[in-house]
Amino acid sequence: MRRISTGTLLAFAFILIFSGCQKKDEVIRLGVAGPMTGDQAKMGTDFKNGVILAIEEWNSKGGVLGKKIEVMIADDQHDPKQAVSVANKLVNDGAAGIIGHFNSSCSIPASDVYNRSGIPMITPASTNPKLTEKGYKGVFRVCGRDDQQGKAGAEFVLQRLKLKKIAVIHDKTTYGQGLADEFMKQVSGKLDIVYYGGIVQGDKDFKTVLTSIKEKKPELIYFGGIYPEAGLLVRQARELGISTPFMSGDGVIDPKFIEIAGPKPAEGTYLTFSPDPKKFPTAGKFIETYEKRFGELGPYSVYAYDAANIFLTAMKEAGTKDGKAVIDKLHSMEFSGALGKIKFGEKGDVTIAPYVVWITREGKFVEHWKPGG
Amino acid sequence: MFFQQFINGLTVGSVYALIALGYTMVYGILELINFAHGEIYMLGAYLGIIFFGFFTLTGLTSYSLSLSLALTIILSTAFCSAYGMTVERIAYRPLRNAPRLSPLISAIGMSIFLQNYVMLTQGATDKVFPHIFSTGGFTLFGATATHLQTVIILFSLVLMVSLHLFIRRTRMGKAMRATAQDRIMASLVGINVDTVIIVTFVIGSGLAAVAGIMVAMYYGLVNYSIGYMAGIKAFTAAVLGGIGSIPGAMFGGILLGLVESLGAGYISTEYKDAYAFMVLIVILLIRPSGIFKKSAEEKV
Repeated sequence: MRRISTGTLLAFAFILIFSGCQKKDEVIRLGVAGPMTGDQAKMGTDFKNGVILAIEEWNSKGGVLGKKIEVMIADDQHDPKQAVSVANKLVNDGAAGIIGHFNSSCSIPASDVYNRSGIPMITPASTNPKLTEKGYKGVFRVCGRDDQQGKAGAEFVLQRLKLKKIAVIHDKTTYGQGLADEFMKQVSGKLDIVYYGGIVQGDKDFKTVLTSIKEKKPELIYFGGIYPEAGLLVRQARELGISTPFMSGDGVIDPKFIEIAGPKPAEGTYLTFSPDPKKFPTAGKFIETYEKRFGELGPYSVYAYDAANIFLTAMKEAGTKDGKAVIDKLHSMEFSGALGKIKFGEKGDVTIAPYVVWITREGKFVEHWKPGG
Repeated sequence: MFFQQFINGLTVGSVYALIALGYTMVYGILELINFAHGEIYMLGAYLGIIFFGFFTLTGLTSYSLSLSLALTIILSTAFCSAYGMTVERIAYRPLRNAPRLSPLISAIGMSIFLQNYVMLTQGATDKVFPHIFSTGGFTLFGATATHLQTVIILFSLVLMVSLHLFIRRTRMGKAMRATAQDRIMASLVGINVDTVIIVTFVIGSGLAAVAGIMVAMYYGLVNYSIGYMAGIKAFTAAVLGGIGSIPGAMFGGILLGLVESLGAGYISTEYKDAYAFMVLIVILLIRPSGIFKKSAEEKV
């Protein structure tokens, strides 16, 4: 092994270069990007599974435009830098469209890359308003926006709970702080915000923050962030003898939240999220297949499934895999999928995004309140 | 609020101190910064969850909770000591007479290896330690200390006092102090330096393992990357106290925990991690060799 001739090395180099270029046109490639490893891997896996089911259904019916569909799975490790590099890789590998990313902090920088290459991107889960406020034509989302979500949360706090004093914490990420700020915007002036501050994502000790909050005696603690931190916050709050209820958003609605916090401390936590997909008659068949194959349905699996279906339908109707044509079709068509009817507005947001408030009861999430109810 | 933040800080500080001891002991004897030490702490946390899970499966936990906890701690500590020894054997001993940078790089390599080893074998998702402790505790001056917090603080103190006695009162402790002062002279007067180094790694890794298990129980959440930040903080604690000095590491760890927690409580929680490093900078400006280190001779 000590002497490898230059010729052999060159030969290897060429094999590597050309093996990457083969077969680009024989299949339609769909990129799925999200956190596939790391502490949010479950979310990424949930929506990867949703997309896989959609694609298998299409392939069993002969694919799209007469070609088979292939999934390319990309792991952004919920890191914005990584998101940009996987976005570039997906574009270079010939992705015709992207389902992803999960975190807003990843979707926003990655959308620059897709926009530059003219590839449509549909995110099943990134709810930060900025994503679709950049004026990119090819960026869509099948979920709601944090300003809509924050508003639903604020309405619940003001009209149903009728609270006077609350504390707000966020995890300093685009999603977490974004959601917390949207919520603040809606409630500010109408009640007393006794604490506002950030924590570090990935940190495990929140007792110092909670101790400062305890003094101020809020009636509710609002948290903008994801489930690992939410679970620890709730658990440590109860250890400090804080019995104040928590409220958070869609990033926390995951069984792991209850597992981390413990069923008892988590009891009574309010979460804003879309209505239960299990209540949509249109989603029944998908959920059954999904649960038989992958186990329990993730909160965003249905969204990912619909996102993939919308994209492929648009491509089929456009009759070409050309990015621009598909994007135009996505803007004009109306789609009915597992979540019901979906139509994109001018910015690429769904025209109807209903948010409801869920609550944890005996270790399970249940729908609790609808705006106006 | 002050007492509550004080108790919070003391708990975290005791954990930092336990990890810092491993850094300082190894530095005292080998003049090596063992960057893989944070990963040993992480391994301790994982092993704790694995062994406890095993005892729950076999039914020992429901038979006797304290017995299974004791066994969990003993087994994980033993395993971590073995890991520590192995790291020393394969990554540091072959480089003992190499330039000082080589073992340092080797230590960083070991740290990356161990992190990825755990990520690949245990998965990247968070592992949850079962909720076995009640959230109750006792109240003192309006502050609540949970039972677990009390256990962590007391157990750490007991370990630190025993370590101090071990180093000061036993033959092995004397040999360790001698090796720290001058490795070559120590070997000339008949001390088996290899044994001393192995014992140092065994003790340091064992303490880190205990810290890991206690943290796993305290926060209930573990993942493969926790060793990094804990390692950096403990290293800071060791430098703060004067690296190489055992009382320095204990004091540095507790000071660091208190600074973090009080800084976060009274100034702003957003910069919690920054306070520790600000204190480090200030102390190093005033006393470049750390609080406790008097001269180069007194390393252990």
